Amino acid sequence: MPVEALHLARGQFALTAVFHILWPILTISLSAFLLVVEVLWVRTSDVVWYRHARFWSKLLLLNFAVGVVSGIPMEFQFGTNWGPFSEYTGQFFGNILGFEGAMAFMLEAGFVGVMMLGWGRVPKGVHLFATAMVAFGSTLSAFWIMVANSWLQTPSGVAEVGGKLVVTDYVKAIFSPDMPWGASHMWFAAIETGLVVIAGISAYHLYKRRNAEFFVRSFKLALTLLVFVAPIQIWLGDSSGVDVFETQPAKGAAIEGHWHTNAPGTGASWSLLAWPDQKKQDNDWSIEVPGLLSLLGTHSLHGQVKGLADIPLADQPPMLPLLYYTFRAMAGIGFLFMVLAFWTAFAMYKARGRLDALLARRKLLLAWVLAIPLPYIAVECGWIVREVGRQPWLVYGLMRTENAASNVPASAISASIVMFACFYVILISSFFIFARKWMRTGPDLTLVPPAEPVRPSHAHATVDY
Amino acid sequence: MNPVTSQTLLSHAWFGLIGLMLVLYVITDGFDLGVGILSLFRSKESDRDMMVQSIGHVWDANETWLVVLGGALFGAFPAAYATLLSDLYVPVMVLIASFIMRGAAIEFRHAASGRRPMWDRVFGLGSLLAAACQGVILGKVITGLLPGDLNLGFVAVTAIGVVSGYVLLGATWLVKKTTGKVEQAARKYSVISVFTTVICAIVVSIGTFKLSPVGNGRWAEPGVFHTLVALAIVAALAFFYIVYSVNVGGESGPFNGSMVLFVASFTGLAISLFPDIVPGQLSIAAAASNSTTLVFMLFGIGIVFPIMIGYNLFQYYWFRGKVELVKH
Repeated sequence: MPVEALHLARGQFALTAVFHILWPILTISLSAFLLVVEVLWVRTSDVVWYRHARFWSKLLLLNFAVGVVSGIPMEFQFGTNWGPFSEYTGQFFGNILGFEGAMAFMLEAGFVGVMMLGWGRVPKGVHLFATAMVAFGSTLSAFWIMVANSWLQTPSGVAEVGGKLVVTDYVKAIFSPDMPWGASHMWFAAIETGLVVIAGISAYHLYKRRNAEFFVRSFKLALTLLVFVAPIQIWLGDSSGVDVFETQPAKGAAIEGHWHTNAPGTGASWSLLAWPDQKKQDNDWSIEVPGLLSLLGTHSLHGQVKGLADIPLADQPPMLPLLYYTFRAMAGIGFLFMVLAFWTAFAMYKARGRLDALLARRKLLLAWVLAIPLPYIAVECGWIVREVGRQPWLVYGLMRTENAASNVPASAISASIVMFACFYVILISSFFIFARKWMRTGPDLTLVPPAEPVRPSHAHATVDY
Repeated sequence: MNPVTSQTLLSHAWFGLIGLMLVLYVITDGFDLGVGILSLFRSKESDRDMMVQSIGHVWDANETWLVVLGGALFGAFPAAYATLLSDLYVPVMVLIASFIMRGAAIEFRHAASGRRPMWDRVFGLGSLLAAACQGVILGKVITGLLPGDLNLGFVAVTAIGVVSGYVLLGATWLVKKTTGKVEQAARKYSVISVFTTVICAIVVSIGTFKLSPVGNGRWAEPGVFHTLVALAIVAALAFFYIVYSVNVGGESGPFNGSMVLFVASFTGLAISLFPDIVPGQLSIAAAASNSTTLVFMLFGIGIVFPIMIGYNLFQYYWFRGKVELVKH
């Protein structure tokens, strides 16, 4: 395996994964949000909720399309670029990806058609069921993907037989030590992303004073949920951190720029900012808070935190400054959302339901508009921490990345990277053009819910969205 | 004959299940790829609107069969998944690219009012490219991934064969779902494509016999040749039925006939390749996962499989009948 081809294969995986994850996080949260909105409509018969359902589902459709097409390379890439890895781990990893495809992807793709085209053609209840299936399917999809990825972080329940891993205990393999934290942290990240996007888009319209009565509804609903979601996410992040220090000490030490194991009876110090230097095996400089890392990483005063210098160089993750700062960016954004959510909750309390009082909080509304890209940045940073931090292992402790790649000519990989990059540019620019059009058009405030169909009328795969 | 162990039973069950998924994929995505290819021949935008509407509610669910298939192959036969995809790197990547093109185009054409003709061409070309890549992959698998001029010619025939087969499915689907000029044209396309498909199928059968590393050996085994002849008779009857039904104005008949034609050809292919999963390189037994995995997957996917088929049928039921064109 030439080194060049290995780097290219890794670059291709990074590119496709970084691009793909942008979309499912909004699909998961927006479909869940639409489910809430549709339940509100069915229960209250308030036509505004119906118009909200119609309005936001257009964004979901646009987003879903890019998510599906960018997800296809992910599944087949393991075979094309990572053949030896696929053969080694297929009995568990491939199995789980198969579950994801069968259970979740079908559920999403199958019911999106009914959800988007079924208004007025299927009864209310059937439509609500379709929306629920799309929401459930996207969450289930995230669950299986996190089962597979967590198992790469903390592989368990398998044994090596004849050069391949066979499953000895499915419960252990699915519920690997990292899975409960990894899956819940990721799911909440997705939910938080959608809520921030909904709050941001609503705030934009409130800021412009366009359809304010309409958008104040979605703004309030998103904020009510965010007040709970933002602190829960911080707690989940903190707990995942403790888990990382326990199961992957090298990753933990790398994201905190921690070089020297603390002596018993003392606490490891935490750096607020530093510049880790792999050659020197130390930080070039750092601003430190004594004792805090033991508290953060082990939730005890003198808990031992292994330093990077005590881990063999061959087992240390690469690109330390990247890990160190992406981690800080992610955590910082998480705290910022909590502050913003509490601030807004306070402002809404003071406004006491008066729309003009809320509209007068210009800075607050602007802050939410500017916050729209932040959850995406946080999610990308989190995945960089998770995946780069696992290096040099592909399957932690069992298979190194350098031994996992297919023997494919470097030229073929470079050509496919260029191809994907071009597609992504076209996809993302088209998405923004259409999303802008959708924003400008705004909600249709004349829409009235269609009469219930008398019987399943034949048909008509007509498109009227 | 080896004694039948639970491992051989399980791995053969999975070979059968994956075969079933492949048939479901080829027929369902086959017709919407075919509709996409045919959209290249219609210059009127309202015609293309009607064609896209006829598949608008099902195309993504259809394509998902391939995702399910990929996942099942990865879990049940990791070695086959790795070998096939690494060795077929270029056609697989181009196939993925074509899926991205058509998937994005069919969604974006709704949102784009002014640029719709451009997205329609992207959709049509993406469909054509996807069908051709699948034909190349089929040809390469039958010839055991071996190089050579003769094999290259064979691969070209399978590519043309798959494209015209999908056009046949697409055209007969349009006969069933559309009205007016589009339906009339679809009847014409059905007749042309059924002839090209059958010619390609005959050439491929002869080629498999002459070129494939297992095809000829396998065909000499007892019972195999007779089964293949029976399947060929079924296929021939389906061919005559399609031509007849198109000419007497049948609505669903041509599409049903095309499905029979596909299932017969596919069964013939599966029988010819058995018991290899990559001809001449990898047998079912050598590629299969352990019983533990195969049983667990059987539980997981076995429970979901009927549900998946159920809600697919549900969709076809709700959107049954002819398409009515709605102006945007």
